[in-house]
Amino acid sequence: MSFVTLRHFTLDDIAARTGLLRETRFQANLTDFAVSTADDALLANQRRTIAEEHHVKQIFTLCGPNDETVGFAWITTIDWRSQSCELSFGVLPKFRGGFGITAVRAALHYLRSELNMQVIINQVLDHNTMLQSAESLAAASRVRCEFDSYTVGQWRTAMFWTDTEDDARIQDLKVAQRRRDLAERIRAKANQAS
Amino acid sequence: MTDLERLDPPAAAAALRATPDGARGFLGVDPVTQNDMAIAGELTRLGAHVFRRGQALLGFVPNSEQPRQATVATTSADPDLMTEFLTFLGSYQRCTSYVAMVPSGSAAESTFNGCGFHRTGTLRGHRYQTGQYQDVHVYFATVGDLCRS
Repeated sequence: MSFVTLRHFTLDDIAARTGLLRETRFQANLTDFAVSTADDALLANQRRTIAEEHHVKQIFTLCGPNDETVGFAWITTIDWRSQSCELSFGVLPKFRGGFGITAVRAALHYLRSELNMQVIINQVLDHNTMLQSAESLAAASRVRCEFDSYTVGQWRTAMFWTDTEDDARIQDLKVAQRRRDLAERIRAKANQAS
Repeated sequence: MTDLERLDPPAAAAALRATPDGARGFLGVDPVTQNDMAIAGELTRLGAHVFRRGQALLGFVPNSEQPRQATVATTSADPDLMTEFLTFLGSYQRCTSYVAMVPSGSAAESTFNGCGFHRTGTLRGHRYQTGQYQDVHVYFATVGDLCRS
């Protein structure tokens, strides 16, 4: 069972996400529009997304092992006919570094297995290591775009890549191989000890 | 069937979410892929009526082209409960025929098989769920079919 599960974002989650939108590191790493947006406008914006924009934008609440909220994922630019969307993440400060890869995996699995998305587009600003290390970002990146956005007083470089069905299959094979290797090492140690 | 509790669309959405597996495909909605407001909006758009009886949810959508026909759905595998519900619809909606769209492998298949419905067709790969396309069976019954069950 995954350490991170997704559920649909609800009205009760808005306060936590609004807090995240106002957090300094989030603003530098994703977008700083919340600085100049009033509280009631942020509230209305998220309510509208839940109530009226489900077909074009969806927000999910990422939950940890005890169902506590660890962050949010959201998909935009949803193209149902082409089966593609853009995926973004925001992790609450106290959970950063703990759930990154499992959160990504849980979101990708949901988008493929339930929403039938074939191509998932990722865009991450190159200094954003809230979710993945600089090394894994560099390895995944396929397109690099300088001056992509301007956040917290600086121009930022964005990295883009896609996750496809083939990528998922390769990743699943790698994970299965790692598990087999680990089991083999444990068996070998147990045999040595006995 | 006096102990039916009628649920308004938001309450119906919450109740469907509380029974996620049984509710997938209920009147065409899906708590796994839709949030509660989307479900409530879809139920409203359809003109759906949802009821709770014990742990089970039952619903119908009148056919606007033929108001004495209804599309029905249930989260329960109990055919007797569906028979009672259809009797209720006959009494209060004057329904004389019923249609059900049932995802292959769902608990509701045994419900409709057990209360007089006939499987009249299958929509191949009509739904996508848990990583695969899923057939949806179309069931049909008239009042006469139900009397013989």
